[in-house]
Amino acid sequence: MLEHFRRPRNRGALDSPNAEAEGANPLCGDRLRVQLRVERGAVAEARFTADACAICVASASVLTEQIRGMSVCGAAEIGADWLYRALDGEPPSARRKCALLPLETLGRALADARKAEQ
Amino acid sequence: MPTNLIHPDDAALSAEPVVALATLVGATGSTSKKLGAKMIVGASGRLIGGVTIGGCVDAQVIEAADALVAGTADRRLLSISLDDDEAWEIGLTCGGTVDVLLQRVRPNDASDPVVAAHRRAAEMVERGESAVIVTPLDAGEMHTVGEDEAPDAAAGERVFLDRIAPPMTLVIVGAGHIAMSLTTLARELDMHTVIVDGRGRYATRERFPFADEIRVGMPSEIVATIRPTARVAVVLVAHDYKYDLPVLRALLRSPVGYLGMLGSKKRGAAVRDMLRGEGYTDDELARVHSPIGLDLGGRAPAEVALSILAEIVAVRYGKRA
Repeated sequence: MLEHFRRPRNRGALDSPNAEAEGANPLCGDRLRVQLRVERGAVAEARFTADACAICVASASVLTEQIRGMSVCGAAEIGADWLYRALDGEPPSARRKCALLPLETLGRALADARKAEQ
Repeated sequence: MPTNLIHPDDAALSAEPVVALATLVGATGSTSKKLGAKMIVGASGRLIGGVTIGGCVDAQVIEAADALVAGTADRRLLSISLDDDEAWEIGLTCGGTVDVLLQRVRPNDASDPVVAAHRRAAEMVERGESAVIVTPLDAGEMHTVGEDEAPDAAAGERVFLDRIAPPMTLVIVGAGHIAMSLTTLARELDMHTVIVDGRGRYATRERFPFADEIRVGMPSEIVATIRPTARVAVVLVAHDYKYDLPVLRALLRSPVGYLGMLGSKKRGAAVRDMLRGEGYTDDELARVHSPIGLDLGGRAPAEVALSILAEIVAVRYGKRA
């Protein structure tokens, strides 16, 4: 998890995304944007921008790394269980929302991509 | 708008048909007020500002201003000699003279040359530009030019040039209690305050009645939209690395005049270590004042805010902070 926080993959804005979503945890202040470039139903590129805690940044990092090349439908099926395994374990209950914010935001970005393709 | 400019929309002056504008345009010795200090004297007796720290000189200026307002002359240049007692009183180290220009102004009349010149200066400052108000001391109309423009004055004509710079901008990242005190105190220093936070429930007008701007969103993106100049100070008072790191990444290589971060020496060192690992140089990291503020010993939010503003003022004037 710390490795993904210290050296996050895919951090930074994406040039010409065709789908994106923003999310926030209103009390702790995590803020995140996920941007996707989807081509022929598959995720060609995924990047994120975040002012967020270590768990949230690591979660966004592993997710954007994982979905590259996947179909939009396949990426949408990624759930919390996979994410917790990728982060080497389930975070303490008070921090689960930090890990889940990128997953929830990614879900909305993928929905945006599906809408754009229709 | 800087408080020392006359503007037709100024509510405090709207009831005054005529005022006298007194400007300190010359002095021998070292005055406690800078050249350009202004005092407005209304027909109703209203006083705004001061050309000295008070005492006999201001009293003489007020007396002359009252006469100007009641009469028909447009201007008067006062040269006031100071004996040693008076000099001590107003902060001169020895006797000398002060020159004060008095101008008759109709503050509600946008065509009045003084009002027009001040309005143009206010508009330029609003756009973030410095303005120069040109005041002919003998004859001719006051006007305003840009910093790089030549004043409209004939050769040999005496003019007073008054540079009006935009106010300092204080960007406060983290809408907690220290931020609340910062916006209150910074108002007295004529700073333009911007509250930045990712949490809409914290960054509210109710909590920050004196903030000039309240911006909710991704702090690193918000600070990147503010034109970075030496007159911008950015303080990180969220005490949260989730904002500190991204905002520092956004600003470490920018020319902002002051960058400070709340936290202990240990915390500051940890943040610097992490950023050093990302390729930031020691010189870049040394720009971050952390622990933030002058060490005044206080721990209450208002005391910490005071120490932060004291450090910003010290840095602005080149004092060791």
